[in-house]
Formats: sequence, C-alpha cells, structure tokens
Amino acid sequence: MAAAAGATFARAEPTFYTARVAPIFEKHCVGCHGPDKKKAGLRLDSFENVMRGAESGDVVTSGDPKKSELYRRVTLPETDDEVMPSDGKPHLARDEIRILEIWIAAGAAADKLLSEFPDAPAPKPVVAQVPLAPDWRPRAAEIAAVAKAAGVKLVPRSQIATDGLVLRTASAPARCDDGALEKLSPVADLIVDAELARTKVTDAGLKAIGACQNLRSLDLTRTAVSSAGLAALASLQHLEAINLTETRVDDGGVERLKALPELKQVWVFGTKVSTPAEPAKVVAK
Amino acid sequence: MHSPDHDLCSDHCGENPTIWDLPHVPLGLKQEWLRLETRRHFLGRGVKALGWAGLATLLGKTAPDLLAGAAGAAPAPMPALLPHFAPKAKRAIYLFMAGSPSQFETWDYKPALAQMFDKDLPESVRGGQTLTGMTASQARFPIAPSMYKFAQYGKAGHWVSELFPHTAKVADELCILKSLYTEAINHEPAILQITTGNMFPGRPSIGAWLSYGLGAANDELPTFVVMTSKMPLRTNVQALSNRLWSSGFLSPEHAAVALRAGSDPVLYINNPKGIGADVRRAMLDGVNELNRQLFDRVGDPEINARISQYEMAFRMQTSVPELTDFSNEPAATWDLYGPKAKEPGTFAYNCLMARRLAERGVRFTQIFLRSWDQHSNLPNNIRTMAEDSDRPTYALITDLKQRGLLDDTLVIWGGEFGRTVYSQGVLRPDNYGRDHHPRCFSMWMAGGGVKPGMSFGETDDFSYNIAKDPIHIRDLHATILHLFGLDHQKLTFKFQGLDQRLTGVLPAKVIDAILA
Repeated sequence: MAAAAGATFARAEPTFYTARVAPIFEKHCVGCHGPDKKKAGLRLDSFENVMRGAESGDVVTSGDPKKSELYRRVTLPETDDEVMPSDGKPHLARDEIRILEIWIAAGAAADKLLSEFPDAPAPKPVVAQVPLAPDWRPRAAEIAAVAKAAGVKLVPRSQIATDGLVLRTASAPARCDDGALEKLSPVADLIVDAELARTKVTDAGLKAIGACQNLRSLDLTRTAVSSAGLAALASLQHLEAINLTETRVDDGGVERLKALPELKQVWVFGTKVSTPAEPAKVVAK
Repeated sequence: MHSPDHDLCSDHCGENPTIWDLPHVPLGLKQEWLRLETRRHFLGRGVKALGWAGLATLLGKTAPDLLAGAAGAAPAPMPALLPHFAPKAKRAIYLFMAGSPSQFETWDYKPALAQMFDKDLPESVRGGQTLTGMTASQARFPIAPSMYKFAQYGKAGHWVSELFPHTAKVADELCILKSLYTEAINHEPAILQITTGNMFPGRPSIGAWLSYGLGAANDELPTFVVMTSKMPLRTNVQALSNRLWSSGFLSPEHAAVALRAGSDPVLYINNPKGIGADVRRAMLDGVNELNRQLFDRVGDPEINARISQYEMAFRMQTSVPELTDFSNEPAATWDLYGPKAKEPGTFAYNCLMARRLAERGVRFTQIFLRSWDQHSNLPNNIRTMAEDSDRPTYALITDLKQRGLLDDTLVIWGGEFGRTVYSQGVLRPDNYGRDHHPRCFSMWMAGGGVKPGMSFGETDDFSYNIAKDPIHIRDLHATILHLFGLDHQKLTFKFQGLDQRLTGVLPAKVIDAILA
C-alpha cells in the first residue's frame, strides 16, 4: 500500500488501480502473495509485481480477463482445487470480481483514473466503527449490581464493547416499573436499546429514560405512557426509533417527538394518533 | 495386578494415568476432554457454593449472570452468548412449507412457458442430468406451464401468482430469492438439510444453534418453539419429527419445545388435580437434589441440562397459559388473520401465536405446514394449500409491521427443494403434476435486516438450472446467522474432534446483496 499512499499524494484524483484494485489484493491475496510469503513466486503487493507475474508466467493478460490466470483462479467454483484464495479462506465477492474483470478488460493499466470506470460497482461505504456508548467493561461489576437491584437484564449488544447495552425485561415485564428504571441511573449512559414493552412503566418513569443519552431504540408497547410523559425524552439526541403501539399517546405526543434530530421511526398502532398517509407508522422526519 | 518386577508393557502409561499421559490420543480430543472436565468441576463447585437460589441463575446462562461472574475484573472478559456484532434480527419466524411448493405457481414467473405446453423439455436444458426415480422412466418430459396467472405488485414490481392475493399486498416487504439449490432429492434428507444443515439426522437445528449462540431473551419461555399446522388436505404428507428441531450434539435445552394445538399446548405441564404450585416446587427441589447428587458423582453435564429442563417446565406453567390466552386480542386481530385463527392448530392460529411469541422475545419460531408435495393434481391441491396459508402469511407480515416488530423480526418462507418444469404423469392445461427438483427453488424473506422489495437470483427460462447468483442452503444459513449478528465460521461446537458448524466444512457465504 506504499504505492497507494504515494499516488494519492501526487494526484488530485486516484487511479482505479490504487483506489479499487489494490485494496482487493491487499484484503485477499497479499497474505500469501506479498513480501512475507511469495507463493508460486507471485507478489500482488504493487502494480509492478502484479505485472511481473508468477514462476509459471503472467497472471494478467491486458484486455482479456478470460485469458488472465488471476481472473480464472478467483472465478473457479469454490470447491475447485485450484480456486483462489485457497485453504478455505473467504473468496472474492461478486463486486470484487467485477472490479478485476473491468480493470483487466480496460487494459490492466496503472494510470487509468477512477472516473474512467463509471460502471464499476459502487464502493461499500466504509462505516467507521462508531462507538454507540462508552466501553462497558470497566464497569461490569456496577452493571451487574444495578441490574440485580432493578430486577432487569442489562446485556451487551454484541462483542464489540462500545455497542452499548440492551435493557431487557421480557422475562418479567410486570416486575419492571418506574422505581426499577430510577435505579438504572449509574449506567444510563451505556443503554442504547430499551425493551420496555408490556412493563409497568408510566410517564413518571420516562424521566429515567430521558437520562439515557445514548439511547437509539425505545420500545414502550402496551405501557401506560401518554403524550405528557414524552416531554422527558427531549434530551435523547440519538434516538432513532420509538415504539408507542397500544399506548395512550396522541397527536400532541407525536408532535413533541418531531424535535428529536435522529428520530426516523415512530410506531403508533392502536393509539389515538390520527394516522397520516401510511397507517400505523409515522415518519417523524 | 501385575507383579512389580514385571517388565512394563510398551503401552504402560503409569499407575494412574490421566488422559494427558496416553499416547495416540489426538491433542484436540485431549483439549476437548479438558474443557468438559473443567466445566464439570466449575459447575460442581458452583452448585455447592451458591446453593439452590444460585443454581437457576447459573443454569439460566444469561449474559448478565456472566457479567456478575466477572465482577471486580477490569476490564471484564467478554461474556459468551453475545452476537459477534450488533444484530439486525432479534428473532425469526420460519414458515416452513414442507413437501415443497412448486416455484412455477408461486414466485418464479416463467411467461415463455405458456407457448410451450406439452412440448418436450429441450435436451440441452437438462444436459444429461440425472432425474429422480419417480419420473426417470417417463417416455416424455412434457413442459407444464403454470395454469395460474401472474401480475406485478408494489413498487418492487414483484411478479406474484394469483394464488397469493393477500401476500401480494405486502410484496414490497418481500425479498424473493429465486436461486436456492440443494443436493438432496427426497423430502427427509432435504428437510433435514435445510433445518439442520446436514442430510443425516443428529445435527442441531437452526433454532438450536441460535439458542446455543445467543441464549434466551425471555427465561420464562423456550428460546426455540416449533408448531405443526393442521393440513387443509392430506396428500403425500411428509413425516415431521423432532429430528428437525433437535439440539443434536448441543446440550438438550437448546432443542425446540413443540407447542401442540388445543387446550394442552405443552403436554403434562399442568399440575394434576390436587397438586398445588408449592407441592410441585417441593417435588422439583427433591428431584433436583437427587440429580445434583448424581452430577457430583458422575459429572455428566447432561444432568444439569435435565435440571434446567425441569426448571423451564416449572416456569412454563405460568408463562404458557398467558401466552396461549388469546382473549385479550382486539377484534382487529381476527379481522386481520381471519376466522380460522380462532381454531387452535390451524396455520392461521400458529401465525398469530408466532406474533405473540415474537412479542415475548422467543428467538426462533418455526411453523410447519405440510402437503405441498404435488406429484399429481397439482393445480387443485396447491390452490387449497395457498388458500389456507395466504391470508395468515399476509396477516403476520402486516401485524409485525404495524406493531414495529418487522424491523427486527426475520420472516422466512419456503420449502426444502423445487419442482420440475415437466409434468409428472398426466398433462392437461388444467391438471398436471411436478416431480422433485433440487437444482433450483424459490423462497422469500422479510424484515429482520433484509432488503425489502428485492428479488435476488435468477433461473433459466425453464426454471431448471440457475442462471445467476446461486444460493446454497449453506449460504442461506450463513445469512440467517449473520442477521442475528453471528459469524457462521465462529459459531462452533467441538464434537468428534471437529469444530462443528451449522454451515459445515464446505464453503458458505453470507449473501451480502440482500442485506439492508
């Protein structure tokens, strides 16, 4: 990738090889065909090395993917002995194969620009691992104690420690009430998903929810909350979805939610909310 | 008994050898033994230290309990039973159409066939492929076009057969997969393969793997529930058994609980007359104590699974009656699902039950509907099956959506293989049959992180071979696990010296293109 860095420095627009082809080699091939291992004498860690080929000869035939050994190997059936990557490593995605195909077909050049390949599959947007909440691990003991005191479950959302916690009450929703939610305050910043359907939570309990500043999803299905209580949620700057199915919420409450910047979905089935174009779902943004 | 001056045999490994002293035992097996042994000791100590109050917690195997175990350590180790990455689907409902509905009358529209009625299937299409024993001896392979008409629905423009007027209304929610394939050519191996990833019985079902990988979201109900449905007709009925929803080599608590139709959804769960909850509790404590003593003696983890099953049954004594009491459903529910939903055991009833299970956090619900195996008299029989299942299917999707559950509930519809373009037996414009065809078939998914309104994969003009984007059952399984936040290569269980996986050892890939 040293070549890539140099290239982007010199040019306003990167080459197709640098931007799209080299990353595929880097991801799938360079482990065995690179500076450390050079299986079959092949290195795919720079344009020059790709063109140098393997012990057995060229791996790329400019202008003809079908005659290119490299293309042939990555498009073999997954069960073929000759398929690359070998040894059960993940194979190339269709988009990646397509990128190699159009690059070779267009002459396998080092200097063609990205804009010369308008039909290339769009790159997957690189989603940076955005932390949804602080790392919970240093506070594991506190989380366990809070969950026990409140009679709820606080479960990490995934093995990624900054994915936050799910507040889960499905085992005993009737035991979760406003008092239980108040006990969550020491770990409120870690909760990103609050599953409170069919609990005893009321408007008063929503104050504690309003303190969950990293909350993304809130399910209040079949609880006694009403429009008045929703005022306490005004601080939830990250809230994306709220489920108010079969609650006492009305139009005034939904109006209030429209101030939340990230809110995308509000479900109001079985409420007094007057339904706009699409029944049961109000898109609040 | 040998005398001390006797020369030691060449395979002598000491007076009290442990497994580590034994030659010729592969290292992997030794490590597996050590893991089990460690677990036995751990559980044994845990039981003694915590007493009965703690036992339920220990066996409840939920993430917070593991957090508690990690208290004091900073940073705490990552507990097990967590998705590898944030899941899109919290739960799934799998509508299993056993016997395999024809793709021609359902989701794989082949208009060109209309002009080819009773023409022979071109040899070039079949390409010398082997046929099943049921039709291999036919003199001809005459093309049978679908007698049902298709129209396009929704913004997606999905072509939907006139057999599914209700499901057509939610076309924009469906992601239709037209290029599934399997190696299995008969029902039992094919159903096993799609439910457990392997044609041979004895492997854990998808729901069991999810239970093993993610634990329970609701401790009061099983993590994996199966329901079989009353059949609107009985022709070529497939045998269903707990092979299809077993825990295989995983601990038995991961197997599905099969809910029965009628007043007794779980057999023998209610206390007999005259036995109160306190008496039942005392009895269970006694049984558990005996089991614990046995565990201390032999250390078999299956004994703990047994204890946890007793405890689950006890909790289900209160959770199941609440679950199966439909009296609080509003009138709108019955308008949506139709009158058949009031009759326990119908597909409609089971769909409504599936929604109630989803609301309560049950991770995996599988509903079986049989009698789609239409070797003959297909037009009539498939219409009867569609009439029974179309409206409830539509109702389930609609209900999940309006209640905000569809976004994180994956709905899956499909059978175990496809059917032939040529007629089996008699061919008339309004009557024909279709044989098994493993080389391509259609399914659909909705919700749960799948792209709505999408169609993926293509078959040739005869829906005989796959033309684009083949999906093996392994790929389907890898994708389902992915939606639950699980990497199919990492969800493993050591058994017989192998890291066993739902997707097995052959290549499997997540179908990225259908992920929302």
